[in-house]
Amino acid sequence: METYLEGMKAIAPELVLTALALGVLVLDLLMKGKNSRIVGYCTVIGLAAVGVMLAARVGDAPQTVFGMVTVDSFGTYFKLFTVASLIVVSVFVMSDRRERQHGIGEYYFLLLGAAVGIFFMVSTYHLLLLVLGIELLSLSSYALAGFHKGDRKSGEAAMKYVVFGGLSAGVMLYGISLLYGLTGTFELTEMASQSGLSGQLAGSPLPVAIAVVLVLAGFAYKMSVVPFHFWTPDVYEGSPTPVTTFLAVASKAAGVGALLRFLGGLFIGTDLAQVQEAVAEYGGQVGQLIAILAAVTMTLGNFAAMRQSSLKRMLAYSSIAHAGYVLIGVAAMSQVGFSAAMYYLAAYYFMNLGAFGVLLYFEGSVGSDKIDALRGYGYKAPLISIAMIAFLVSLTGLPPTIGFYGKYLLFVVGIEAELYWLVVVAALNSVISLFYYFRVAKALFLKDETDKSVVAQPLFAGMLGVLGVLTVLFGLIPGTIQDLVDRCGL
Amino acid sequence: MKENILSWITFVPLIGMAIVMLLPKGATGLIKGVSLVATGISLVFATMAWFWYDPAIGATGYAFVQEIPWIDAIGANYYIGIDGISLPLVWLTALLLFVGVPASFGIKKAQKAYYALLLLLEVGILGVFVSLDYFLFYVFWEIMLLPMYFLIGIWGGPRREYAAIKFFLYTLAGSVLMLVAIIALRLDSGTFSIPAMVELAMAGQLTGESLPGGGELIGIPFHHWVFWFLFVGFAIKVPIFPFHTWLPDAHVEAPTPISVILAGILLKLGGYGMLRACFPIVPSAFHEFAYFLAIIGVVSIVYGAFVALGQTDFKRMVAYSSVSHMGYVLLGTGALTLYGLNGAAMQMFAHGTSSAAMFLVVGVIYDRAHHRDLNGFGGLSQPMPVYWGMTTIAFFAALGLPTMSGFIAEALTLVGAYNAADSDFKVLVLISIIGIVICAAFLLWSIQRVFLGKLPEKYKDYPDMTPREIFTMAPLLFLCILLGIFPHLLLDKMTPSIQHLIDIIASVQ
Repeated sequence: METYLEGMKAIAPELVLTALALGVLVLDLLMKGKNSRIVGYCTVIGLAAVGVMLAARVGDAPQTVFGMVTVDSFGTYFKLFTVASLIVVSVFVMSDRRERQHGIGEYYFLLLGAAVGIFFMVSTYHLLLLVLGIELLSLSSYALAGFHKGDRKSGEAAMKYVVFGGLSAGVMLYGISLLYGLTGTFELTEMASQSGLSGQLAGSPLPVAIAVVLVLAGFAYKMSVVPFHFWTPDVYEGSPTPVTTFLAVASKAAGVGALLRFLGGLFIGTDLAQVQEAVAEYGGQVGQLIAILAAVTMTLGNFAAMRQSSLKRMLAYSSIAHAGYVLIGVAAMSQVGFSAAMYYLAAYYFMNLGAFGVLLYFEGSVGSDKIDALRGYGYKAPLISIAMIAFLVSLTGLPPTIGFYGKYLLFVVGIEAELYWLVVVAALNSVISLFYYFRVAKALFLKDETDKSVVAQPLFAGMLGVLGVLTVLFGLIPGTIQDLVDRCGL
Repeated sequence: MKENILSWITFVPLIGMAIVMLLPKGATGLIKGVSLVATGISLVFATMAWFWYDPAIGATGYAFVQEIPWIDAIGANYYIGIDGISLPLVWLTALLLFVGVPASFGIKKAQKAYYALLLLLEVGILGVFVSLDYFLFYVFWEIMLLPMYFLIGIWGGPRREYAAIKFFLYTLAGSVLMLVAIIALRLDSGTFSIPAMVELAMAGQLTGESLPGGGELIGIPFHHWVFWFLFVGFAIKVPIFPFHTWLPDAHVEAPTPISVILAGILLKLGGYGMLRACFPIVPSAFHEFAYFLAIIGVVSIVYGAFVALGQTDFKRMVAYSSVSHMGYVLLGTGALTLYGLNGAAMQMFAHGTSSAAMFLVVGVIYDRAHHRDLNGFGGLSQPMPVYWGMTTIAFFAALGLPTMSGFIAEALTLVGAYNAADSDFKVLVLISIIGIVICAAFLLWSIQRVFLGKLPEKYKDYPDMTPREIFTMAPLLFLCILLGIFPHLLLDKMTPSIQHLIDIIASVQ
């Protein structure tokens, strides 16, 4: 009984979040779908409360409860990330001028449901719970992608997402079943420390290779890593923009978190268990594979983004490229490498939420997501346009922004892991990305001032302005986030 | 005040920028006034630093040093200081930006944004010249790009969008590789401090041995790839053949004051970067490639001159003359003699004043005729005698007429290169003489085409230079003559630091 209570205490944030999800659903029913804005405000307040709970737990000693849920600072980092993203996404939903503000309470419910999935995804070494978390996230995301029922594009997005998602979930489960067959356990730390896996590696490593690659495919799909990225542009374009933001930021980061957990548990080891030497060595080879994936992903994403005329689609491809950058840290296969990847996600949070927010703002005002449609609007909406420049500079990876510092850390771990070639490829990729990111800057400022006006949304614009300031500020004083990441290392 | 004078020089424009941003859009007079005062204060401080600077300090280290911890996690510091190589460039920057503000008074479009960006640009440039921490150096280096992109892209000519992004892409391509090299140097040396890295290099320690795989990049030894990554980053900025193709486009499209700053200072960043943060850090690679660098320099001199000869666009001609003149920097540096390096450093300053004046010359006529076709002018000496006189001084300074600063710089460079330890340099000196002749040819020919001959009817009523135009050009021409007659004013400040640099590089073979 006591351990049970201990366990409940450990997963209190998850419980509160679940209660919140159910609460907003009931609240929406009670309000008879009249004013969904109130549901939105409740969501934001509830999320902030969960955020405070989580922040208080950073640095606590890690513990495993119910035999499968690992509660540690690493997980808390990703949970905080999720909560912080969802707060912004909820504001996006409320500020979306193309979204009705009545009878959409389930919007918030689905977002919170997805968050619960993420919470479990990033806090377990147990592969079954991992799959459950991923599925909960996926199911909520499918529904969110198709949230605009009448819209063909939205429906198409949901359909594609379901088909690709189902396929990759199946592939991943098959990989997990192979791992289980080889080791007799679902627990990653046990797999790494017991003789099953290392014995198999000494004999014939092929089944292990197949299993690992299949599981990686599942993560690659969530992170939209090439060659599992095909769904990304269409789903991102068809989904309502707040949902796209959620998929690009929170869902992708969750994929990274779970991947780091998987690789860390299996190949690097944790406080809980040592890794067999043969397994750790094998991890190095997996790192090489990930390095190749990283190079291909960033290059393909950037080249495809160059050809887009829609800002939304461009950001979709850019998010593929950024998945490639994050993979540099993963490919390093070390604690510092993982920390660098985590830092980069924090940078990604500010600059991508910001860029998607500006997209949403202009979609509402201009009525189009084409880059050309933004011609000359920089002079009409200077605050968010200047903020957009900060996001673009950060996305390109130039100082003095958080994106530069994030990239710097990734390059450092890349060189330390002897991946010189990958670092050079990544550096040259920044140049390619500059070309398409600054097409937006060109449209906003280099064209003559437009005579059309924008709809004023002072609060929303203010939030984007704050994101812009933080993007630059954390580039100049990156220590704050660096401290957090250091305390939350795997 | 004296100990943190460099911070004042660098950040006064930033304060000016903040004030400009807070002013209402319509208060253009006030915006111009604030910009003029901010750049003016910076110039006054730079002048104070000039007089306070003791060359003896430059013989061993840096003056006005400030070191404050910045990002502890990676060991980056706010570490600044200057020596005899950076001092003239800091002062030149402050001067040209101060001149650049009144030169911009003709600009009518989005003035608030223009002056804010101009001031931000000044912060970036000055920051590069005073940084002694490689991370800080890089941050300032990149901060410069953004205002430049917008200054060309918003206020430029018809093909401004193309020119702006081309400039941005070229320089970024160079600087991202530089970043990779900087990170490798940081991991190998354990510090971002440029002086500390130089000391390690002198002790033969900065060889990449502590890096995984011996620091080799796909089989290329550490000191080779680090050298080339840094060198190309700086060479693009100089620009040196074959990395120069962004320059004519950027110059032609940029508004006059921005061309002035681009030619006057931004190009110097490349040469300065090599002297400060490339050659002394990987001296062994420098020795291996010195002759090759000098060859590239000579190719730039001759090629730039010939291409300039073929131009009919006034501004494009001046732009290509920059390619030619900046070639001397590489030739003089490659020789690694005191004369050669003094010449190279002085050429940066001399070219900074003469090319800036030449771009102002082009601006004056463009404002009146609204075209820059050299063959379309003629006889302008009649309606505009003052303009004719000032143009002639600027052009003579550029072509290296004795009693002008350009002559001293080029003569020093050539003498230095001729006396280089490697006797093959003599051939290069002889070839580069061709460049001088061609350079004189196109400059004199353009004077002839613009000012002499028959005066077309439509140019008859052109007003001569306004007091504002004279005010912007006069200090530059004054410097050209002053340093032509009293070069020691500059050389006395520079020589100890140059000698120190030579000692550093020569100590490693």
